[in-house]
Amino acid sequence: MENNPKLLTRRDFIRGTVGATLAASVLGVPWAKGTAEVDRISIVTVVRDKNVMDAGFKVDSKILKNMLDQTVLRLTGKANIQEAWAELVKPDDIVGLVPTPHLNPTHPELVDAVKISLIKEVGISEKNIIMAQGGKRKPMRCTALICMPALKGHWLTGIGTVIKNYIMYSGRPSSYHQEKSAKLGEIWLIPEVKGKTRLVLVDAIHPLCDKGPQPDPRYKWAYNGLLAGTDPVAVETVCLRILEQKRHALRGEPWPISPPPICVEAADKAYGLGTSKMEKIKIVHFGWKEDLLLG
Amino acid sequence: MTEKTVKLPKTIGVWTRSDSARIVDSSNIFDYMNGAGELYLAYGFDHLEVYEYTTADQQDGILVEVYFMKTANDAFGLLSMDWGGESVAIHALPSFQTSPSVAPPTRALYGGGLLRLWADTIYARVMAYRETSESKKAVLSLGQKIAADRKISAEPELLNILAHSMDSGWKLRKDRIGFFRSHLVLNSLYYLSHQNILNLDHSTEAVTAAYENISDAGTARSVQLLFVKYATPKKAQKALNVFHNAYLHEHQKGIDPGVTEKNSNFFKIEDGWLGYTINGAYLGFVFECPNRESAQMIINHISRNTEKKENERGK
Repeated sequence: MENNPKLLTRRDFIRGTVGATLAASVLGVPWAKGTAEVDRISIVTVVRDKNVMDAGFKVDSKILKNMLDQTVLRLTGKANIQEAWAELVKPDDIVGLVPTPHLNPTHPELVDAVKISLIKEVGISEKNIIMAQGGKRKPMRCTALICMPALKGHWLTGIGTVIKNYIMYSGRPSSYHQEKSAKLGEIWLIPEVKGKTRLVLVDAIHPLCDKGPQPDPRYKWAYNGLLAGTDPVAVETVCLRILEQKRHALRGEPWPISPPPICVEAADKAYGLGTSKMEKIKIVHFGWKEDLLLG
Repeated sequence: MTEKTVKLPKTIGVWTRSDSARIVDSSNIFDYMNGAGELYLAYGFDHLEVYEYTTADQQDGILVEVYFMKTANDAFGLLSMDWGGESVAIHALPSFQTSPSVAPPTRALYGGGLLRLWADTIYARVMAYRETSESKKAVLSLGQKIAADRKISAEPELLNILAHSMDSGWKLRKDRIGFFRSHLVLNSLYYLSHQNILNLDHSTEAVTAAYENISDAGTARSVQLLFVKYATPKKAQKALNVFHNAYLHEHQKGIDPGVTEKNSNFFKIEDGWLGYTINGAYLGFVFECPNRESAQMIINHISRNTEKKENERGK
């Protein structure tokens, strides 16, 4: 390490040289080959209902199902729910659901709501809906994936929501911590995964705005929302904005996520998975407006 | 000698625990908590005892995690990662009966159903899955049982380098003091680099803290202090070389002959002035200073204190 000037440091974030440094150190792929120049707007929906979770943290499945319906309607722009789901998955798809099991797990009620919609609205048979979180073999037989993390920070990667949700598919998760978390986007391009993600659906009902590493209830709050999109980087970028604004609101002073989440911009500029630029993201909000945290 | 287990009641309120604890050590910590285990291994971790208290209907339990660390400093370090929450009493004796404190004098912090505490070589987390007035009472009572008969250790001696204020204007943010031995923890408190550019390991002790200066106009300005005690002066010198190469590689190495305090140097970088000083096994830094004078004043303070400590070490 002694004579290596290509180490990512705090100074890179101030100078705006993160990409150049990462490209020269861990990435092994050029920076800025991604979507930044593509003239496309990514839609991210934010659907909230104040009553989806009660004071005892119990989730109302009926309200949640309505929120899910509103999410797919607003994301696809379709008039009815069957048409909306048909934009995302087909009846003959083998759909892998990929929730997060750790730290701030995805609510099982959300997984159930998606399953019910796939069966009822799309006509997918139950045997073709797979719980696909886990090792490399899990996504192999899936023709479609629905990425379903819960919104949270992570103490080794800064944010541990969308891009990191496929880490187990790498077969070597510990290889993607610290500086190498910049490479998390490459997992979305392995043959078992590439092009299969039809929907990114983030459980933001009860997010965790600090990084853990273990849950601290002081940093969980009732956002009572679902975030969704088909561009994983855009969804993660909006997730990041919510976490940052909540942290600032909690402390009343800047409270940056530390270490900085380098995987988000790298997913855009090194792996071309989507956009990390807020100006290229259209946020479509529906429902409860209070403390939206997207100012 | 400190007992290597805790005595917890079988029943507390409506909660009852299983007969025996789950024992977790460094060989199986990742099975228990995945990547979170890195935090405890970054300190001197011995083992963890886990107790689950449940109610008859298996709802809304209380999780008790008692981390047995190798030193009281390690247990303090875990608490110092976050000074937020309500300070609560867990010892029969008030903590100020130990030496005067630079860090917040509290030994236990509660918030949202979670109690975190430091009692000698123990760091513990006691968490009610749902907070009620009954669960809070039970959680605090369990905290007192964990701390019972444990020594009230002094905070790490390295913290004595910190002053409550410097040059009248700069005040210590006690809630931003952290003690650690690993760059993973440093990056969680104050990001410098994803790599270990200070050669931190279990043989080092390190402290970071923020100082704040409130201007007449009411604007707050913060600077960040960081100092590390290495096992030997040679290791400190080597670490400074690694840091310089990684963080200041475009700047010339060496000690600035223009400063009054020996062994120091100052650099203007993107986020303000950075200063460092080396005294034997001690390495000190200040980041984000508004000007060279403030960096020099703060480094001089660290330098004097580390030199004093180095002299004490040499006796």
